[in-house]
Amino acid sequence: MKISRRLMLSAIGIAMSAAMPGLASAEGLIAILTPSHDNPFFKAEAVGAEARAKELGYETLVLVHDDDPNKQSELFDTAIARGAKAIILDNAGADATVAAVQRAKDAGIPSFLIDREIKESGIAVSQIVSNNYQGAQLGAEEFVRLMGETGKFAELVGREADTNAGIRSSGYHDIIDQYPEMEMVAQQSANWSQTEAYEKMETILQANPEIKGVISGNDTMAMGAWAALEAAGRTDVIVVGFDGSNDVRDSIKAGGIKATVLQPAYRQAQLAVEQADQFLKTGTTGQDEKQLMDCVLINADNAAKLETFALAD
Amino acid sequence: MTCRAPHVLFAIVLGLMPLTGCKIVKNPEPGSEAAGSATATPADDAARMARMAAEIFAAKVVPFVAEQAVDLSTLRDAVAGGLDAAGAQHGHRPESEGSPWNFLVKGQGKVVKADTASRAAKLELDSDGDGVADVTVQLGPVIKGTSLRDAADFLVFTDFRDQIEFAKLARALNDEAHKALRLPEGDLTGRRFAFEGALTLRAKGDALLLVPTQLSEVP
Repeated sequence: MKISRRLMLSAIGIAMSAAMPGLASAEGLIAILTPSHDNPFFKAEAVGAEARAKELGYETLVLVHDDDPNKQSELFDTAIARGAKAIILDNAGADATVAAVQRAKDAGIPSFLIDREIKESGIAVSQIVSNNYQGAQLGAEEFVRLMGETGKFAELVGREADTNAGIRSSGYHDIIDQYPEMEMVAQQSANWSQTEAYEKMETILQANPEIKGVISGNDTMAMGAWAALEAAGRTDVIVVGFDGSNDVRDSIKAGGIKATVLQPAYRQAQLAVEQADQFLKTGTTGQDEKQLMDCVLINADNAAKLETFALAD
Repeated sequence: MTCRAPHVLFAIVLGLMPLTGCKIVKNPEPGSEAAGSATATPADDAARMARMAAEIFAAKVVPFVAEQAVDLSTLRDAVAGGLDAAGAQHGHRPESEGSPWNFLVKGQGKVVKADTASRAAKLELDSDGDGVADVTVQLGPVIKGTSLRDAADFLVFTDFRDQIEFAKLARALNDEAHKALRLPEGDLTGRRFAFEGALTLRAKGDALLLVPTQLSEVP
């Protein structure tokens, strides 16, 4: 809090030195709500959004809902009570979030969603999401290539309430299922969690010691699966993730996990703040509500250029 | 009996109320494996989008492509001068940052190589007469990408429930494109075809991978 107060003071200083009449404070408060920062993906979102918001003269309130819709609902109340000008949100469930976003809208606070959609349009101002279908197809094509188009594999799926779990699985299968020699022997949800993925991978390995590959709905589950495979001495198994985290980048560089798919999470969060800023100032973002951002395949060829969910040119 | 009936009814209503209350809440069973595997996609999404694709393909998509298509040679020249400039002039894409350019093109070419046996069947055509294949016509049934959906300006992501639905639409449109094809018998190598369709370019040097809406042999 001390830091943001100091920043606000300096923003006031800037505003005053710019001699803007009547502008006695910064642009106002932007609330940034994401799942737990334990996953570096969500941390990158929060950091990206916060940095851009401060650059644009806003005070920020960074909160985590831990993928709990009830907690998210309370955080919305907090943001509303604090008089936030806008909410940047990576949400806790496509169905459960609709009511919270509507409540903020009714209170005059626009929401700008990143990463995950909600199942209604016309309530949030922007929904900027990675093109998960395109990204998953990229990952699946690489996975099939690495597998030599044949062999038994397992799939780790994300949290069911999250649309991204379904869309990635769908993208994977639209490619993989075209190859009759590719045989899925296990498909389990590990709820995006590294520890759950570790446990699920151990069980899958016991039941299917012959598996040759694992395709995972995100990088934290890929890391969990890889740790279990390493512990079992099965570093021959091909693992492909999704997100483009620094952890998986390092694993790729060390010859562990073979590939992942980068979601431009950092830029996405910044873009949401920019659209919030434009909306607050002009009443429109100039964009469709729902926007897709393409993903990029990361493997040994380009892993070195990856840093905090952004690819250097 | 008659005087007891209201009590019985009341009891039934009381009994039902919590039940119906439970039904409204759409929580998945926490930790259930079935929930995890059911994640893939609700089966009816694919069916619904297949119906939509069937309704719009011949009625809207094919005429839209025919109306908007630019000559492949025109596009090639434009892309040589820069992809974004070519896109601004001839391309279709949502305004959102990080979307690739999609193009609707038409032209003719001679079959350099025909693969009609694979599930990802394709014709490699030479459209500029140098003897080298420069455009690949995807025949399917496996057709990659979402070019057709993304080039059709009237199909807007915001109008769809989520990415799953939107993805199924792209897949269903590709399926329609495949189903509409009528290829002549025999070896197609060396024969000449006229085409219309959609393609996506992410970078200037990308291979031209066409999803056809029209494909017919020309004498």
